[in-house]
Amino acid sequence: MNSRKIAVKTSQYTLLIAALMLFAGPLVWMLSTMLKTKAETYKVPPTILPDTFSLEAFERLFAVQPMMWQWIQNSLFISFFVAAGAVVSSSLVAYGFSRFANRYRNMLFPVVLVTLMIPPSIMMIPSYVLFSKLNWIDTWLPLIVPAWLGGAYYIFLFRQFFMTIPQELDEATYLDGGNRWTVYARVIMPLSKPIIMTTIIFAFVNSWLDFLGPFLYIKNAEMFTLSVGLQLLIGQTSQDLPALAAGAFISIVPIGLLYLFAQRYIVEGVVLTGTKG
Amino acid sequence: MNRLRKYDTLLFFLFILPWIIGFMTFFLIPFGTSVFYAFTDARLPGATNFNFVGIDNFTHMMDDPIFLKSLLNTMYFVVFGVPIVTAGMLGLAMLLNFNVKGIALFRTFFYLPTLVPIVATVIIWRLVFNSEFGILNAGLGALGIGKVDWIGGEHTIKPVIIMLQVWISGSGVLIFLAALKNVPRHLYEAAAIDGASGVRRFFQITLPMISPSILFVIIIQTMYNFQMFTEALLLSKGGPNYSAYTFVYNIYKSAFTDLKFSMAMTQSIFLFAVISLVTLILMKLSNRFVYYEGER
Repeated sequence: MNSRKIAVKTSQYTLLIAALMLFAGPLVWMLSTMLKTKAETYKVPPTILPDTFSLEAFERLFAVQPMMWQWIQNSLFISFFVAAGAVVSSSLVAYGFSRFANRYRNMLFPVVLVTLMIPPSIMMIPSYVLFSKLNWIDTWLPLIVPAWLGGAYYIFLFRQFFMTIPQELDEATYLDGGNRWTVYARVIMPLSKPIIMTTIIFAFVNSWLDFLGPFLYIKNAEMFTLSVGLQLLIGQTSQDLPALAAGAFISIVPIGLLYLFAQRYIVEGVVLTGTKG
Repeated sequence: MNRLRKYDTLLFFLFILPWIIGFMTFFLIPFGTSVFYAFTDARLPGATNFNFVGIDNFTHMMDDPIFLKSLLNTMYFVVFGVPIVTAGMLGLAMLLNFNVKGIALFRTFFYLPTLVPIVATVIIWRLVFNSEFGILNAGLGALGIGKVDWIGGEHTIKPVIIMLQVWISGSGVLIFLAALKNVPRHLYEAAAIDGASGVRRFFQITLPMISPSILFVIIIQTMYNFQMFTEALLLSKGGPNYSAYTFVYNIYKSAFTDLKFSMAMTQSIFLFAVISLVTLILMKLSNRFVYYEGER
């Protein structure tokens, strides 16, 4: 390696590490705050490494807010059913849009794509009006039911994937006496494991990250998701910085673990659909 | 044959039925029926004792000085926020496109903040930007810069929110990274042989080749920043003195604090019109700047 190359590599690493410090810094600061005693967070100048590592913050967190466990369970439950609904409904719809050749398909598929461009916040008031008329306020139905009725992103994702599966497989199945349903259930879906994984993970993550939905539709603290619960916690214990950091940490853990094991699918989903949702 | 085809069309509708129901129930019907609230003085959803007031809501919308302030704040997030966030994404993507050992690990770390729930992000931001005990002011103090009240300051809160956006911009970074990887290497090699400088290669090769992705990211980010709300709500409740109060915040306040659903709906329609118009203009303008391969 010549000296010029070494200089280039060195400057590249320097830039990367400097940027990493800016991006990982806040997360490190959260971890550090979480492990401090309450008194140590008031020290000036602040310490980056805690003098004594303590897990007291978690004890205080669960003491101040005994509903934490309930909220974690609620979030897991909702995210699980959102993910299941996204896979089942969107794959059925996408199968319709990729394997049936008729004029209705050519009319309706562009409508699916247009709905992707609608700003969600203009639906804030109409949705609230709808859910209050349906008596769905203070239930999880507004969060789960729409997921079972075909999300445009996931329909698009599944359709793109189904288009790459050769039609000859469908025809062979018909020759063997199969019908539309057999093709979907026995041919297409078994071949679509990667996109099913992407959708499950993506829908789960998006549901876990959702704040505005549960914030608007759920008023009863026992029904809160973790995100909305944490927001309540900020109001309750704004001076207890370690407890707040511990709360933030808990809300990151499930997604962080999922990301470590399924990074490939998350990256794929972002690049294919163009957004996080 | 004809009956068979009819049967197959029926099957098609059965398969797409979930979407049809969802589209009607959660979009078309609620939006369609809510639009008419904008022309009434209804205060609550499902109210029966309301009057039709024509376009009064639209003419009175601008009377509220807070509404005007929220418009200006939203414009700030669009006019300054979108270019800064987009440039930040592109810069990061270029860093993460370096061909060095361990780059995969770096990529993993940079996406992490994007997966942090927004409430946790806000907690972290409050810890970092805390004026008394935050790490940022401590670092600046070491450089001899006095304490800044970042979140409590009228002039600093909007930049703080934009910095937060850059921190969680991992999705855009991934899109740019994918685009950068698709730029053919031979173009750079040819340019290097011709003696083009790095800066020149960036402007003459990289930017034109990834311009479709840039347009895409700008449109998505513009739409997002027009709808800025959650960050402002959680970080500072739109304050101090309404300095982070945004358009969608106003819709929320009209509906849930002032209990004027009719006004909230009027503002929603106005927002929809503005976003549609701006997106259309961006698409039109882009025809001149965006290069699509395979198109002459």
